[in-house]
Amino acid sequence: MSENLLEIRGLKVHFDTLDGPVEALNSVDLDVKRKQVMGLVGESGCGKSVTSLVTIGLATCEVDEGSVKYEGEELVFQEPESTKRIKGISSSIVVISVLMSIFGFFWMILINPLHGMDLFLGSLLVSAAAWGGGFYYSSDSRKHERFMRWVRGNEISMIFQEPMTALNPLYSVEKQISEVMREHNRLVEPETPMMNRIGQALVSPFTLFYRTIEAKPKSSTLIISILAFVVAAHRLGFAESAKPLSLAFIAVFPIYYLITFGTSGEDISGAKKAMLGPMEGELSAGVTMDRINPISGTKESEYVSMPGFIVNPLWEGAVYSMPGVFVGGAVSLVVYLMLWMPFSSLMGLAVVCTLLALPVIIYLDFLRLDPAHSRQVSEILEDVRIPNPAEVVKMYPHELSGGMRQRVMIGMMMSCEPKLLIADEPTTALDVTIQAQILKLMRDLRDEMETSILLITHDLGVIAGMCDEVTVMYAGRVVERASVDELFANPLHAYTRGLIACTPNIESTRKSILPSIPGQVANPSDFVNGCRFCQRMERTGETVTIRPEMIEHSAGHWVEACPICLDADEDKWE
Amino acid sequence: MSDDLLLEITNLKKWFPIKEGLLSQTRRYVRADDGVSLNVTRGETLGIVGESGCGKTTLGRVLMGLIPITSGSVRYSGEDIRRIPNKEIRRKMQIVFQDPGGSMNPRMSVRSIVGEPLLVNGISDGVDLTHKVEELLDSVGLKKEHMTRFPHEFSGGQKQRIALARALSLNPEFILLDEPTSALDVSVQAQVLNLLQSIQRSMDLTFVFISHDLAVVRHISDRVAVMYLGKIVELADADEIYRNPRHAYTKVLISAIPKPDPSAKRDSILVEGDVPSPIDPPPGCAFGHRLQHPEWEKSVDMDLSLREVSPGHWVQPCPCCTKDLSDQVIEELDPIQSKGSSETPE
Repeated sequence: MSENLLEIRGLKVHFDTLDGPVEALNSVDLDVKRKQVMGLVGESGCGKSVTSLVTIGLATCEVDEGSVKYEGEELVFQEPESTKRIKGISSSIVVISVLMSIFGFFWMILINPLHGMDLFLGSLLVSAAAWGGGFYYSSDSRKHERFMRWVRGNEISMIFQEPMTALNPLYSVEKQISEVMREHNRLVEPETPMMNRIGQALVSPFTLFYRTIEAKPKSSTLIISILAFVVAAHRLGFAESAKPLSLAFIAVFPIYYLITFGTSGEDISGAKKAMLGPMEGELSAGVTMDRINPISGTKESEYVSMPGFIVNPLWEGAVYSMPGVFVGGAVSLVVYLMLWMPFSSLMGLAVVCTLLALPVIIYLDFLRLDPAHSRQVSEILEDVRIPNPAEVVKMYPHELSGGMRQRVMIGMMMSCEPKLLIADEPTTALDVTIQAQILKLMRDLRDEMETSILLITHDLGVIAGMCDEVTVMYAGRVVERASVDELFANPLHAYTRGLIACTPNIESTRKSILPSIPGQVANPSDFVNGCRFCQRMERTGETVTIRPEMIEHSAGHWVEACPICLDADEDKWE
Repeated sequence: MSDDLLLEITNLKKWFPIKEGLLSQTRRYVRADDGVSLNVTRGETLGIVGESGCGKTTLGRVLMGLIPITSGSVRYSGEDIRRIPNKEIRRKMQIVFQDPGGSMNPRMSVRSIVGEPLLVNGISDGVDLTHKVEELLDSVGLKKEHMTRFPHEFSGGQKQRIALARALSLNPEFILLDEPTSALDVSVQAQVLNLLQSIQRSMDLTFVFISHDLAVVRHISDRVAVMYLGKIVELADADEIYRNPRHAYTKVLISAIPKPDPSAKRDSILVEGDVPSPIDPPPGCAFGHRLQHPEWEKSVDMDLSLREVSPGHWVQPCPCCTKDLSDQVIEELDPIQSKGSSETPE
């Protein structure tokens, strides 16, 4: 068993664009040792994310050369040229013969049935044979795809920068985590047998009905009695005369609202306090809050809800009962319509609505997560230190805060206990306090589960606090690699020194000019063959044309040996 | 002294109503800013830090006059901002947003983006406008060839420079910088910070710099205000607040800054949970409530307005966060104990 869990050697990839191939990585070497945290630093556009995506086989680029070995297994699959050519030929034969068969079909029905039939069947046969051949030759790549599917999740997992886009907003947390576990066969035996689940689902409309009555007895009783009244009115034949009666709701609801909310001092009156609160004593319109009562001579305070508007009991009553007018109006309209339409139409409407709703209710109940699985998911959330896991599992991503979402992501990826975790800017979108929590969580998980971590970030502070080793990338190449202490104590490459220098520090002199690396990373299509940092610094000479070699400066400290970049005196920060 | 005051914010409150229920009645409010008092002196840079959801951005928008004020007042050079005509405010106060790409029209060239304020205000047009835009681009370190290009052709740092040039076009006195460097790489961030400082010196500008990156805020600011849940908990000179933080929240924030030094002790004070929802904020000291501090209840009836502990150093007094003992209490706080009630997500 080798020391390295992941070994990337000489990886060179390009993206095919309309302007021709654009090189993204140029012979990248990277090692992740067991139980270690490897940091990957660099600016945007230097190929950090591409490296990680190639590793888990999700990149859309073409790998030219190089290898990615995970525990000795090759993760990059390159089809031989001959196979590629055969697949290309077979797919073009399929397209041509399908077109021919369409042509033959029309010939058959329009001109000559016999000749047309021959052409039609013959070209169909050819296309089937060509497709079969292509399928046979792509068996290796399909096998590799299956292997990669097993590797992702079980062996290597990835968490992304923006958890909101990585989580599906339509599914609850428990559904999403359990889906990952089901895909990788990590779920325990379900608690309820299949037949019981089906039975439960079939009776679920009744269960739902009962639960609704239990939860909201008052409104349910009201609705049921209204419906009973309507049915009785139709059957007993006084529907026509009962129509004016439905208008009574307009009067009943406001009174009900007034009594319930006006006297209980809850609900709306809480809102009243909130409404009046911000205005107390400091009204911009200039209305004084206190006034002297002309009779008793004492000071009275008046509540002011809006500039220039004084609340009195009449208005207060109107505020409370006004919603009742609208609700009552809506209810009376519906009841009026039900009494107005023929009984057969009313029943027809009811039956259609029920028939449309029942399958959905039954199916949704069948999809409900098994209690055992639900518990399993809450255990995972507990591992990632989410308070109240039993409640959080039922929530949707938008209900969680950024830190919680990132925890859910970490929980999802830890659910299959991978040996390698790739974290792509996991804390960049988070506040410092939440960042500290997430980093501590990742450290703890590494210690408990002995997971290796490949941490991609541009924040050197995070690197210093988390990593054992650091790889610095610039413009698709590794420029320096060392242990974290060595790198910060003795940065050899100019780019590393520049990154360290331009990070604002709470010990630095305030309001000083921050050293900054001039310019920006060159466009990938303009990359030179030689030292690309010299290109950025607008140097000329042979360093820009001849590629510097990686040398081992001291034990374990590798650096791209461009003579100018190694010389600290040549650093010219703006 | 009063001549030097550019902005005077007194007990500013901004509450957003939540419409809910059948008829979208307003029953609750998001208390984004809940009693903020601040002064901004002419020529200084005031940094505002805090976690997301603490009302930094809302404060910025309110004091620019972009959204109406619920109560309290904002005075600009002694005049209530609500009484100054909109056109005049915009000439004096400008804003630079976090996402430079999102704040520019992708179908307008750089010349029209930067020149639009000049055109709208009838200051210049035609050849004169082109010359003015040229000067502006030059002042933010861009070339005049860039004038005919479109926003998507620029990198993040360059876009932020264009946004700055647009803000400078009307020769304002005050610029609000709302997380201007959060979306940028460190090296580009350093370039933009240097540019901001040199522009401030040469044009005699006043900045309010909103950010959640404490190291950046410290670097650029003269004074720093720390906000938590719609209130300012500490306000002091930048050096003073980092050297001698008094409020527990400030201490937590400062200790959480990742230091680019592997030998530094990883002694950051960890606080469980997130910023609570500003919909129904706890009474009294909100941070003490998050810590579940035993003495939090005492703060409920206290007057929590800022006190000056040393010249220019204002702290919110409360028994839970500003006692010298509070440090130990935070460290001793058992994380398991604080699970449960207060950290449930909204």
